[in-house]
Amino acid sequence: MTETRVFFNFDVTADSHTLAAYRQRGGYQALEKVLKGMQPIDVENEVKASGLRGRGGAGFPTGMKWSFVNKQSPVIYLCCNADEGEPGTFKDRWIFENTSHQLIEGMIIASYALKVRHSFIYIRGEFDLPYRRLMEALKEAKEAGLVGEKILGTEFSCDIIVHQGGGAYVCGEESSLLTSIEGFKGYPKNKPPFPAVKGLYQKPTVINNVETLATIPWILANGGATYAAIGTEKCSGTKLFGVSGHVNRPGLFEKPMGYSYKKLIYEDCGGILGGKELKAVIPGGSSTPVLLPSEIETLTMDAEAVQAAGSMLGSGGVIVIAEGTCMVRLLQVLSRFYAHESCGQCTPCREGSAWMNDIITRISRGKGVKGDLERLECITKGIMGNTVCALGDAASMPVNGFLKKFRHEFEYFIEHGRSMYDGRLEI
Amino acid sequence: MIEITIDNKTVEANEGETVLQAALRNGIEIPHFCYHPCLSIAGNCRVCLVKVDGRPKLMPACNQTVAPNMVVETEAPEVQSARAAVMQFIMLNHPGDCGICDKAGECRVQEYQFKYGMAEPISIEPKHHKKKFNYLSERIVLDNERCILCSRCVRFTREVSKSAQLGIVERGSHSYVARLDAQPFDDPYSDNVLGICPTGALLSREFMYKSRVWYLEPVRSVCTRCARGCSVNVWRRKKHWYVRSLGEEKNITAYRISPLENPEINGRWICNTGFDLHKFMARPRAMAPMMAGNTVTVDEASAEANRLLAGATNPAIILSAHASNEELQAFKEKLSPRVQVYTREDYCPAEGEVVEDDLLIRADKNPNSYSVHAMFGQKAFSAAAGHDVVIVWGDQVDYTSLGNAKIIHLTSYAPEQETRADVLLPISTTFERSGTFCNFEGKTNRFEQVFDKPKLVQHASDLFGRL
Ligand SMILES: Cc1cc2nc3c(=O)[nH]c(=O)nc-3n(C[C@H](O)[C@H](O)[C@H](O)COP(=O)(O)O)c2cc1C
Ligand code: SF4
Ligand code: SF4
Ligand code: SF4
Ligand code: FES
Repeated sequence: MTETRVFFNFDVTADSHTLAAYRQRGGYQALEKVLKGMQPIDVENEVKASGLRGRGGAGFPTGMKWSFVNKQSPVIYLCCNADEGEPGTFKDRWIFENTSHQLIEGMIIASYALKVRHSFIYIRGEFDLPYRRLMEALKEAKEAGLVGEKILGTEFSCDIIVHQGGGAYVCGEESSLLTSIEGFKGYPKNKPPFPAVKGLYQKPTVINNVETLATIPWILANGGATYAAIGTEKCSGTKLFGVSGHVNRPGLFEKPMGYSYKKLIYEDCGGILGGKELKAVIPGGSSTPVLLPSEIETLTMDAEAVQAAGSMLGSGGVIVIAEGTCMVRLLQVLSRFYAHESCGQCTPCREGSAWMNDIITRISRGKGVKGDLERLECITKGIMGNTVCALGDAASMPVNGFLKKFRHEFEYFIEHGRSMYDGRLEI
Repeated sequence: MIEITIDNKTVEANEGETVLQAALRNGIEIPHFCYHPCLSIAGNCRVCLVKVDGRPKLMPACNQTVAPNMVVETEAPEVQSARAAVMQFIMLNHPGDCGICDKAGECRVQEYQFKYGMAEPISIEPKHHKKKFNYLSERIVLDNERCILCSRCVRFTREVSKSAQLGIVERGSHSYVARLDAQPFDDPYSDNVLGICPTGALLSREFMYKSRVWYLEPVRSVCTRCARGCSVNVWRRKKHWYVRSLGEEKNITAYRISPLENPEINGRWICNTGFDLHKFMARPRAMAPMMAGNTVTVDEASAEANRLLAGATNPAIILSAHASNEELQAFKEKLSPRVQVYTREDYCPAEGEVVEDDLLIRADKNPNSYSVHAMFGQKAFSAAAGHDVVIVWGDQVDYTSLGNAKIIHLTSYAPEQETRADVLLPISTTFERSGTFCNFEGKTNRFEQVFDKPKLVQHASDLFGRL
């Protein structure tokens, strides 16, 4: 059976990203169908029926998110979250580079459903080619009357405004993304109020991930039920999984939800580098708790299954770790990242993330002392659930996960002042 | 009004208000650093976390709107441990140098650490250091190590004084409060941040190391520097701590001025001129009665004044807009029928001073013009009227503008002019008596006596009985 593909349904060539190429593979037909023959509420219902869940990390049902917005409000905004900052995640960039038009089409359809006149794309500041490709595509789309005034000759108008980020991971968090667009320092906001009630410029706002929005055209073209039939019952459709780490063929894969992790690693990615044993998998971006080989033995890639295994599907960035890797030093890299990226607004995350990094760095320099691990656990307990945004949790979960699964390595490092796996990992 | 339950107590809450506001109004304490009633909700310190309706995720009380029948727990074990954790984080890189910190004794970090902190710190890391003496302006120094990044000062300059001169720069644990542009923090309301800073990060350069706050006590007073007449606290040494041998002047020193909350008049703020009220009051005083430049006794001076008045054919008085309502009343009863009454503004805006703005500062730089005008109308002195004796009440008067009249001057401060008054009678300042002023809107505001008056100085109201 050939698998249904929402993204990987064309060959990437030198001009496969252009409007002409996108049109050739059926692009903008869904938009035409929607604008000329559907009511906004029908679009929303179709998305609800598809069971599509947010691809940004939290996995919130997209149709439901849209339904929270009061459509009577005179101004509603849509923001596409293209900040893609979670280590291990590199799917949105592929969409921009190769099929920006798919996102644009998805955004216009979503804007139509949500009665949005101005929508925004908040794109990661470090993205260069993706940004250029997006701007080219927007220009083409505007010239072709697919974005802007009276789209496709209908009464519907919608502009897309692109905002480049300044290089802060935290600006991927939805409320700080809005603050950043408004021109302020990207501090997350306390919720409530939720963006659906008071978002960008105090107006109701929907924030969706790039992949989420780029899936919309397919759903409208093929029907929500068709999409819902793919994947598992509670987690429908296909998803882009970026595999990095110690595999022979790292890269981006589109797989139906419920695909097996083992198959992904051993078949699609050609197994572990150098034929080594698998040591651990971080299943959904660096903030998700790490899993042991035994735990992914039968694990499938859908939100419910991964959650039952004690982790999260997250953004779909799978990080594969081979035997011989020092988990202490790996955690040090992660904790440094989160300490560096904490916005510093709220006390527990600002102080706690830096503190954890101090301790883990000290351990990884051979200066660990007894009590450090208990101290770390005490810190994560003080952070989790007590912060303004989820970055505090994101910084704590890997620490808890690593300490739970690889405690002996940390204890060894503290006791002997050196890693169980000295030297560089030989591949 | 809706009912909510806080710690098994049913309390009334206003619709739309937050749990923290309802609790504080009902005398239930929930710790808070970043919440301030006059500023927007930041919700960043996280020390106010409480349990709402039994849900496992704790909510910041400062950002939680009340709902009918809401059940709030402020002492649940999870709440206590979250609070202790937050205090642990606050103290993590806090220098804890209370011994040399002026805020000690009125510092919220100190207070909460004792009340809610963990018994023992669990950190063994060296503390992260930040810049300790940061020049903000000639008035304020900022210690970034002591700052807990509650953003109160930043929100104050954005939302109240509107100068937007402060901000938090960098991110994560490197964040620090800074001036946003190169110029000094010269906001005319800048000193208010000293009071709202919950810790010893923002300190007055003038008050620095002058006294521990527990030796001092506040006395209710009124700022006399403009017609707003803001309520202030004047901080004097407690009687119990009076210095008895060396340095007795400390006992009669006003150490600092702070705003006193008065919703009718000034809310919780005063301007920097108000913060300098004690310096204004500390100018060289007129300490002894004088006649034509020579020191005399009180009796001699009053006798001479009486003689001049008795012999006058056309006496006049120029009233002071710094006189209290009580003094004006005494004057009205005892002396006014015998003299022609004129009024004036003792003080006019100084060069470089903010003349008037839409927050507090008024163009009339005197505290009681309202009552003077209400009781005696408004009439400027004119030398052409040919007065032979003029009583001048208050300072800042130019004798040469009074023509050839004999001058009886009632003043608190030593006049700095060539010519001398025929009789000079020193009178008490607002710090040395109690009374009331009416501000420009006619609102009455009371001030209490802070210090005893010097021996040879008299209250103006007593003088009128004797003249
Ligand atoms: C610290 C942090 C960083 C985040 N970064 C991203 C990001 O880079 N891209 C993204 O799409 N969502 C990110 N999210 C998730 C968003 O807050 C939000 O849930 C998502 O954009 C919603 O879109 P979706 O419903 O389509 O998933 C982040 C969340 C947190 C807490
Ligand atoms: S949790 Fe961290 S990133 Fe989020 S608001 Fe607090 S300090 Fe900022
Ligand atoms: S200086 Fe004071 S008021 Fe300003 S952020 Fe720091 S602790 Fe808060
Ligand atoms: S506004 Fe006027 S009364 Fe208030 S503190 Fe300033 S000078 Fe004094
Ligand atoms: S007072 Fe509520 S978070 Fe600071």
